[in-house]
Amino acid sequence: MAAPVNIPRSPFLIWLNITITVVVAGIGFIMGFVQGLEVQLVILYTIISSIALLWGLNYLALIFEAHRDQLGETEKEVVHDPAVGPVHLWRGNRVLILAIAGLLILYLVLVATISEFRTISNLITFLILEAILVFAFKVSKAFVYNRSAFTGLTILVAIIVISSFTIEGFVSGVNIKSILVFAAFLGIACVGQTLVALLGGLDLSIPFLIGSSNIGLLYLIELGVPSWLAVIIVIVIGGAIGFLNGILSYKVQGQALVLTLGMGFAVSGSTQILTSIGSVFKGNVFGTVPDWLRNLAAMNGETFGLSFPPIIVIWGAISVVMIVGLRRTAYGRYIYALGGNRKPARLQNISEFRYWTLAYIISGVFSTVTGALLLGWSGGGFIGVGEPYLFMTLAAVVIGGTSLLGGYGGYGFTVIGVLVLQVLTSFLIGIGLEYEWQKFIFGLLIVPMVALYGRLPHIRTQI
Amino acid sequence: MATDVNPTRASFDRIFLLVPIVLFFVLLTVAVIRAPSLISMSGLGSATIVAAPLILATYALMAVAIAGRGTVDLAVGPLLGFINVIIIKLNGLDLITSPFGVFILALGIGVLYQVLFALIILLVRIQPIIVSLSGFLALSGINLVILPRPSGLAPDWMMSWGLGETIFSPVLLILILATGGWLLFTLTPFYRHLRLMGHDERAAYASGVRINLVRIGAHCFAGIFIGLAAITYTSLISSGDPTQGTTYTLTAVTALVLGGVSLAGGRGGVTGSLLGALSLFLIGYILATFNFGGIQGFVTELSYGVILVLSLLLTVLIPFIARYIKYIPPFATFVVLTTIFASTMLHIKTRDDFQPTYTGTVVVEKQSSTDISPATRDALRYLLLPSMMADREDAWQFNTLQRMVASSIIGLIMITFVFRFIVVEAQSLRLGPLLYGVICTLILLLFWTFSSRSDAGKHPSEQHIVVQKTWLEPPWPHP
Repeated sequence: MAAPVNIPRSPFLIWLNITITVVVAGIGFIMGFVQGLEVQLVILYTIISSIALLWGLNYLALIFEAHRDQLGETEKEVVHDPAVGPVHLWRGNRVLILAIAGLLILYLVLVATISEFRTISNLITFLILEAILVFAFKVSKAFVYNRSAFTGLTILVAIIVISSFTIEGFVSGVNIKSILVFAAFLGIACVGQTLVALLGGLDLSIPFLIGSSNIGLLYLIELGVPSWLAVIIVIVIGGAIGFLNGILSYKVQGQALVLTLGMGFAVSGSTQILTSIGSVFKGNVFGTVPDWLRNLAAMNGETFGLSFPPIIVIWGAISVVMIVGLRRTAYGRYIYALGGNRKPARLQNISEFRYWTLAYIISGVFSTVTGALLLGWSGGGFIGVGEPYLFMTLAAVVIGGTSLLGGYGGYGFTVIGVLVLQVLTSFLIGIGLEYEWQKFIFGLLIVPMVALYGRLPHIRTQI
Repeated sequence: MATDVNPTRASFDRIFLLVPIVLFFVLLTVAVIRAPSLISMSGLGSATIVAAPLILATYALMAVAIAGRGTVDLAVGPLLGFINVIIIKLNGLDLITSPFGVFILALGIGVLYQVLFALIILLVRIQPIIVSLSGFLALSGINLVILPRPSGLAPDWMMSWGLGETIFSPVLLILILATGGWLLFTLTPFYRHLRLMGHDERAAYASGVRINLVRIGAHCFAGIFIGLAAITYTSLISSGDPTQGTTYTLTAVTALVLGGVSLAGGRGGVTGSLLGALSLFLIGYILATFNFGGIQGFVTELSYGVILVLSLLLTVLIPFIARYIKYIPPFATFVVLTTIFASTMLHIKTRDDFQPTYTGTVVVEKQSSTDISPATRDALRYLLLPSMMADREDAWQFNTLQRMVASSIIGLIMITFVFRFIVVEAQSLRLGPLLYGVICTLILLLFWTFSSRSDAGKHPSEQHIVVQKTWLEPPWPHP
């Protein structure tokens, strides 16, 4: 890396770089003419893009070599000759090369078959995707501890770049505001899930609590309870349910998933029964939401005169408190200690029961808060409002990089996961895909994203 | 199966069957008292058809749960819906309509998906729960793409399956084959390897079990079960539904836990899963017989939740209970409860036969029908009927002393028999021949009762259809 001239030593790599650059520049050149741009513009774009590409590839090739040199130094006794050549390159980067080739073939096939696909923006999208692959595989190796966060951020930036190219008005204020508002809902709902996951548990009662607090709050307000008191009552009840979740699942930690699911059913069923008593509309609650609650979360809400709803600020504050709290305070460190390994933590006099229950209480509280905020956003009570959060909270936590086995991760990661999910949602809506396609794509995304950083060791190494 | 070295350990595992067994019989008795028409050819027939997809989905979950690593296949419901939608779609296009083709298709998709699942777990090495989450989202999305709303028709030959006029439908055959197949599988060394791997994967690896192969095998079983579940589900609704299948995930997980299968791996079986799924079905059935009006679905949801939590907590308590009463064999309990249940059922079924012979109580009945509440009248009919035998000319005439002596002798014999039986069976690993005999006799008795009653098939339909429909509506909202 410290070489004065940044050119890879291996002639193979140099030739590879030049070939790729020429091929890609050629594609761009031809595409430019096909699209009917002006000749000067086409030439200018081609030159700029080929220089940028050559520089980028060169940089990556250097990283390859540096990485291999390190390997060669540490294993000098075993590796007799750090051979330079295609075989070596293939061995070290099998998966990467296969992935890049697969993407290239896919792109070429699409270009060859669909004539509308031949646009500059699609070419750029393709190049960015290839760059992400290289980046995710090669550069993120430098980050030992925050690899998932780094990968997540890369993907986030890439999605934003791609969408701003392909979708009109993606970077407009309205769209960013809506992304942030939805991200805030998901983010607040994820607070508890992150904490619980850090301890190695799962909380599936979150969506049911969101739905229940949504209709329960409106029901209380309709009964004539002052709205601030109603919110407090609902939050306290949420905490109590979380407490119940915690103490009941403490002995069956392996089955916390099922227990919280059962609690969720029970809570959601009983709330609906309570709110339907004496009501004509079974299960649905109608009423007017107080203005302050509406202003808190609605899209046209205002924060001190600025035209964005306060929920974004609230989420930001919660994130800061959570991130700092988990990193800097003893409470936060104890949670990591317990999640990593119970036994040594117990020997240090950290009460497992206390933190386990506490995590579930926080989860219950923030679920109900989300439900209340969603009431402000939608303006009407509906039990099914929590439904998407059943798997979205899990997906956000997992994509962010918090391990479901406990002990690794943090709320900062979850924030990245939430943003990735919401920006991706916005992108998919922008290119005209329906809700079901979004679900499908999220599903397919989770495995490769987790595979980038969350792989378990082989059984051989665990004995 | 080889003799277990430590029989107490084996019965310790079996102890977990106690909860589902007791729960099942309590629910069954309540169900029969609430809706006696359950015990008829058509009643049992439609119950089988409604419960079959849930039972098979629970089997699928069980097969992978035993394999360990906390494998709960959340995608079981969407996969079921996926196969259903594909069958309907291909049938609509006249591509695959023959029974053979549909079976190959359903089982093939199930097995393919599960093998892919296993390969991702093994090669990519990420947690199974994440893979299944991914499968859940992807499949429930693509289902809606393939079939945006419930529509389509099942293949012609399948249409008659869902009628539920008789018990002996092809659905029952599928259920029996699936259950029997798993029971046969438990005799193989492969199954022992599977359980070993579920209990302790590292130990299995260290002792030379080819864990990759075993895991793929377990997933193949799950795939077959899901394929069968999808076929029975298609025959139940006779159409395609992209979203309804999704609700089976949560229901089947609940059934799995009710059945005493450990989500941590290594413990579980087809008996527990069957009882768990049936219990869940019965809860829905019983609740459907009460008229809650608009809040029906909420009550069902509430009771699912409460029962799920309670049964999980019971599972925690069982090791403590088992320390003190290790001599309660689950299978013997099963037989004893079957007997009690069968007698309750016979009583309920036959009580109307003797109606015309009332002489002494007829007046009371007439009065009561006007001014006492229906509940009390029901109680009178169920519990306080005088012995019919006493009125007959040719019946044996006992005086009080004779009756007391006779009943105490019969009681003593019964108690001795039951206790001997329990002690003998306490340490057994599986059902003994005697138990099989008793169960077969009971089942034969049941059928004899039905066939001897001319009006068995007469009042079937309406209640069943109502019950079936209500049960099908998911107790929780879905997108």
